[in-house]
Amino acid sequence: MAKAFKYGHKGIRGHLEPAERELLRSLFDDVISMLEPEERANEDPLAALVGLDTEAREPSDRALRRLLPNVMKNDDDASLEFRRYTERSLRESKIGALKAAALSLDRDDLVLTAADARHWATALNDVRLVLAERLDIRDDADADNVHLMQDWSQAEDVESYLALVYNFTTWLQESLVQAMVHSLDARR
Amino acid sequence: MTLSVALGPDTRESTQTGTVTSTDILSAPDIPWNLVIWNDPVNLMSYVSYVFRSYFGYSETKANKLMMEVHKKGRSIVAHGSKEQVEQHAVAMHGYGLWATVEKATGGSGSGSGKGKGKRG
Repeated sequence: MAKAFKYGHKGIRGHLEPAERELLRSLFDDVISMLEPEERANEDPLAALVGLDTEAREPSDRALRRLLPNVMKNDDDASLEFRRYTERSLRESKIGALKAAALSLDRDDLVLTAADARHWATALNDVRLVLAERLDIRDDADADNVHLMQDWSQAEDVESYLALVYNFTTWLQESLVQAMVHSLDARR
Repeated sequence: MTLSVALGPDTRESTQTGTVTSTDILSAPDIPWNLVIWNDPVNLMSYVSYVFRSYFGYSETKANKLMMEVHKKGRSIVAHGSKEQVEQHAVAMHGYGLWATVEKATGGSGSGSGKGKGKRG
């Protein structure tokens, strides 16, 4: 079984079983492939270089829309224009965090620097946001319902499997954030 | 509309230079934009509070107060500033996975600004 992340003098330390590493690796990869921008024909290379995407649109997929939300609640036009200037680099920074987290899974000892921990926290958060959309978690009652699913021997369909995975990543992120809070407190 | 997040502050009009960075200074009432964080059932309370502490440099007390406001009231204004500044914060919050929007401070709950075409809730 995985052990909760702990903050100590060497940084933030965790422990994951090989199967848990594999699971996390595939979750990180899934979210990376969702976030990877489409290749576009006839794209202005200079525009791409500065992160401009004149073709950007509000994503139709709910989960992707949650990862890359509109910046204004009541102004779709302004949100779209903002998206064209910012979405590409937001996708890239999320992909960067997910790749960094996936990379540290290769090491036997999970000892995270402050930068590693930030990558892990956002990577786990993005994974949970995607899983939550797939599980249709819309409010706290839905979340509580999913939380009841704790027994892997009961996983008999995709939904219950996803719920268990969601609960595992929630637990892991919570323990990581607690360790990060301790490291914040220790620095003050 | 010009956006400074990708293009840098010197592409904007020079009335607000890039020298003001502290969010405390930005809470001056004549600066008209708010950064709003919305509640969702996924983000951990500890994580939201951690982000407020580490990104904005807020105290634990202030971060927890804002986090609880998001949780209980559904939303909280967590920073003020020029449009460019709160937009930059919003992108950072999206990077963390928090659901952030910007709005004109004069609109109160934000319903009075914009073109009224929003539909997401």
